[in-house]
Amino acid sequence: MTALDFVIAALKAIVILVAVIQVVPVMIYVERKVAALIQDRPGPNRVGPFGLLQPVADALKFLLKEDPIPLYTHRLLYTLAPFLSLIPACLVIAALPIADKAILFGKEITVQIADLDVSLIYVLAIGSLGVYGILFGGWASNNKFSLIGALRSASQMVSYELPLGLAAVGAVMIFGTFSLREMVVQQDGTLLGVLPNWGIFYQPIGFLIFLIASFAETNRLPFDLPESEAELVAGFHTEYGSMKFATFFMAEYMNLATMSGLMTVIYFGGWHLPWVTDAQLLEWVGSQNVLCLIQVFTYIFKVSVFMFLYVLIRWTLPRFRFDQLLALSWGSLIPIGLLNIVVSAVLMYFLGGK
Amino acid sequence: METLLPLAILLVVTLLLCAAILIVTQVLGPKNPVPSRLESYECGIKPESGSHVPFKSSFYLIAVLFLLFDVEAAFFLPWALVYRDSLAEGPALLWALLVYLGLMAVGLFYILQKKILKLN
Amino acid sequence: MKEAVFTFFSLFTLLTAAGVILSRNVIYSAFNLVLCFFGLATLYLLWGATFISMIQILIYAGAIVVLFVFVVMLLNFEKPTEQKTRLPIIILASAGVWTLALILLRVLSKSLGEIPVLETTTRASVRTVSKLLFSQYLWPFEVLTVFLLALIVGIFVLARPEGEEAK
Repeated sequence: MTALDFVIAALKAIVILVAVIQVVPVMIYVERKVAALIQDRPGPNRVGPFGLLQPVADALKFLLKEDPIPLYTHRLLYTLAPFLSLIPACLVIAALPIADKAILFGKEITVQIADLDVSLIYVLAIGSLGVYGILFGGWASNNKFSLIGALRSASQMVSYELPLGLAAVGAVMIFGTFSLREMVVQQDGTLLGVLPNWGIFYQPIGFLIFLIASFAETNRLPFDLPESEAELVAGFHTEYGSMKFATFFMAEYMNLATMSGLMTVIYFGGWHLPWVTDAQLLEWVGSQNVLCLIQVFTYIFKVSVFMFLYVLIRWTLPRFRFDQLLALSWGSLIPIGLLNIVVSAVLMYFLGGK
Repeated sequence: METLLPLAILLVVTLLLCAAILIVTQVLGPKNPVPSRLESYECGIKPESGSHVPFKSSFYLIAVLFLLFDVEAAFFLPWALVYRDSLAEGPALLWALLVYLGLMAVGLFYILQKKILKLN
Repeated sequence: MKEAVFTFFSLFTLLTAAGVILSRNVIYSAFNLVLCFFGLATLYLLWGATFISMIQILIYAGAIVVLFVFVVMLLNFEKPTEQKTRLPIIILASAGVWTLALILLRVLSKSLGEIPVLETTTRASVRTVSKLLFSQYLWPFEVLTVFLLALIVGIFVLARPEGEEAK
């Protein structure tokens, strides 16, 4: 391994991480603007043109606030908990293939931090660690609201991890690989000549399960029971303030980006433009690097669509009750997920291969 | 190892980021602890007792069932990986799945029918 | 480089494992256990056993410790209860530890030469494991499923929700 390899690896990790963190300010702005639009009010419009600098102001405010540690808390875990949420959120992005490859410094560079052969399970596994930030945070706060919020939240997250996994199994069956990169590569071209060759057309039910479960996994409305501000004050982060509070939110928005990315990659062809194969596109633009740029923008566009969907749904649907939430997962999503696997398996057997 | 290097760097960068967040807030934020600010939050009254009180056991059931079903679901993954390629050699894996899934469905049906997860 | 990383994570795993035992508070034990499992997973990853590594995180760190933490949070024995360690317990515990140690020693002495330490395995490794599981080890696998089913029923019988007493 040369020094160049090391520099490339470091750059890849840092650039992609920083890029994903930019999701947070953008989402803060979009969320507030869309909320305003739906509730028929102007929304942030004081800081900068169209209130565009609002996220900067928010960030500065978070940083400049006092960071108190309440008495009676378990100081070490209380301090660590937000980061236990943030660290898995940062680590999962390593598995997402953003684009194919670029050629820089005379080297082929894949636009993905780590091309593991089990990247799909990697995302599910590391993602499942995110629950500890909430659990420990709620416990260490030594507050009843926090504890109830944490327990509810953890039950919700574990209950919806199963449908998420089952939906992923359907995708693995179709593509015959755990590698997200190989999945995207297989989605090149068209299906029957008219449809883009995307995962959603092979696994429509799987996609719906995945979409619903991803809302619950990221604690978004209509599944925001961990917070449920009307019932539990603020849920597991009642006792958190200042940047620690913001860290929980950073993690939440980054998870949102990861989930959107995962759906893009598995069900919507990842970096592929519809109806155009990579080879054709490369012929038109003539350069691998330009192609790579197009792919990156395609990926970002698709992810943005999903993120926007999350925001829209947040301001459209009311919250579930806790028993309804569990019933939805255990009573509907998991059985449907299992059925989806059987039906896919039988169909694949009779249609032979795909 | 080649693919693990960026992952290791990402881990280090993430940890640095966390440390930075911690330190920056400590440096920039004012420190002015007022006793009432450091009390734990309660709706308008003084905290009655510690928060760590015994709790509903239904949550425990959810965790246990999750663990069991997670183990079962994890076995689907290797199965799904080889399923497509195995189709050329006949439906042996399909039968394996149906038996496995049948047993899993019995378990799921059992807990649903017993209404274990009925909370409140 | 490889050796350094490996040594680091080995030490990390050992230290957190010690933390599990030595923590006064059960929650901190659970916290250390998560870190310990994470360390173990990185060791597997360095061996090239990617699938096992991910399952280690998914099942052990992601599910089993969640269960531990739930139990601790539900029961809330915050203060470690002072318990006299009785002689039979000491004898039983040490017998268990020694048996385990002997088994480990036996396994290690037999297979130490064969463990492919730090060998990068090929991409086929996950596929190989899966193929073996569903051909050679199919029957043990199905028996295991029956076992899991029995566990589900057993849990319900043991931890029946309130108000659903035996009729």
